[in-house]
Amino acid sequence: MRLDDPRIKGFIRDKSLFMCLECGKCSASCPRMLSGKEYSPRLLAHKLIAEPDSESFIENSVWECLTCGLCEERCPSGVQVSRFIMEMRTLLAGTKGLKGYRSHDGALHSWMRLMTSPDLEQNRLGWLGGGLQVAQSGPVAFFTGCAPYFDVFFSGIEVNTLSIVRDSIRLLNFLEIVPVVLEKERCCGHDLLWTGDRENFEALCRLNYKEFQAAGVEEIIVSCPECYQVLGQYMPEVVPGMKKLKVTLLSDLLRREISKGGITFKPLKRRVTYQDPCRLGRMAGSCETPRALIQMIPEMAFKEMKNSGRSAICCGNNGFINCDAYSKRIQVERLQEAKATRSDLLITACPKCMIHLTCAMRDPYKHGSLSMEIRDLVSVLADQIEWSKGEEAIGAKTRSEKHA
Amino acid sequence: MVQTQLLGIFCNWSPFACFNSAAMAHLKIPPNFGFIRVMCIGRINQALILRAFEHGADGVILLECKDEDCRYGPGPEVGHSNVAKVRKLLHILGIGQSRLVEQSFGAHEKNELVEALWDFSEQIQAMGSNPAKPRQERGIQREA
Repeated sequence: MRLDDPRIKGFIRDKSLFMCLECGKCSASCPRMLSGKEYSPRLLAHKLIAEPDSESFIENSVWECLTCGLCEERCPSGVQVSRFIMEMRTLLAGTKGLKGYRSHDGALHSWMRLMTSPDLEQNRLGWLGGGLQVAQSGPVAFFTGCAPYFDVFFSGIEVNTLSIVRDSIRLLNFLEIVPVVLEKERCCGHDLLWTGDRENFEALCRLNYKEFQAAGVEEIIVSCPECYQVLGQYMPEVVPGMKKLKVTLLSDLLRREISKGGITFKPLKRRVTYQDPCRLGRMAGSCETPRALIQMIPEMAFKEMKNSGRSAICCGNNGFINCDAYSKRIQVERLQEAKATRSDLLITACPKCMIHLTCAMRDPYKHGSLSMEIRDLVSVLADQIEWSKGEEAIGAKTRSEKHA
Repeated sequence: MVQTQLLGIFCNWSPFACFNSAAMAHLKIPPNFGFIRVMCIGRINQALILRAFEHGADGVILLECKDEDCRYGPGPEVGHSNVAKVRKLLHILGIGQSRLVEQSFGAHEKNELVEALWDFSEQIQAMGSNPAKPRQERGIQREA
């Protein structure tokens, strides 16, 4: 494939690359560039338009992007860089093969592709129990995502992403919602989509949709921002039937329910800060809701990091490709920003942020200077929530049983 | 029944020495095995094992040195920890953890090695195909 391919011309037009003013705000804000890598979204746009024969430069730039979307946020001309990168990766993967340096040797992508087999009988619900109430079928489902797999694979760095799932269900049970949890649910395919493997991504979408249909699901609640992005935005492009299903972010649902009144939080005397996940803050535009939820907890001191909200810095890695020394530097700088707030608890809302930042904290050469407790927003809320009457309310019992 | 396809990964030292002497002695090796030789089982990570299953292997056996015989030091330990984790992943995936085994050999144990290969082959043949194997290889027609 040559880079003057008409399809590439099409992406350049559709994603507004011709609108580029070459102002350089994208490169000046790119975390890759700021961490010292020779990487420039501006130059990529320039080369694509003016020097399409710089094939190796263009291909490397396409594969090395973190797709965090910060350049897009800064761009005054509305160039859709991330979406452009995704389309280019899909095209390049189809013609020249999947590239991009795969972290962990591509183990995560392997299990995601293994899940495209329709005959797989997964045992992914071993973590249920402990009074969690879930249903086999019904209108409201909770999408677990890859948490059961992450906890095995990343047992070496002691992240507990399943606790996020358990706490999400505890919160839903607390709100008298008994969600469907699907035994045959597959990965949402986010990482395959963003690393150019469109074919397997689409296979996962179709399998997941079939499971939603079989369980009679009308609304899907998700806590992971990546699953939220895929189920809400990209899956309907593949399976048009998804448009009829409602995809709700758990934090939006919590905010709505809590604002109805009757729910309070136990005080937590800690100083905390918050890491905005790129898929939640910039891409889904949800910066305010997590902060509103954090501020509902009494006695908790909340301090913003230097770069926060829509300007938050990436956790250093996306779709489990491109983890390198520069990613590490991004993570170290991000953790230093967190430390500078003098917080002892870093709250995030994405299991991937948790994994990547925990990994960086454990760097033996930093001698623990970066380590701090990191927890998901959902887990913090689940531990502090209570009914206003002061009952111990979290757990298996529903509201009506307790008031009976 | 479809013949299963198995992958054996040899450490270059004791197990491969066993394999060599087994071949010299004309011992029969199960025909459904493909073999890879690596310098040490510590070279094999979780991703490589998973990739074998992704590409349609029905079973993977890691043939390693005895813990105290490793030429490099931590090889078998790395092997044990990878196998433990990947077995858990295979269980969650529904592929079945018994499709991955590891076994260690001293340099003189050619009969034990051949026996282990036959046992593994029979065990996987009894389990049938890996459910995540591409369907055409399992003789299932692709849905229209």
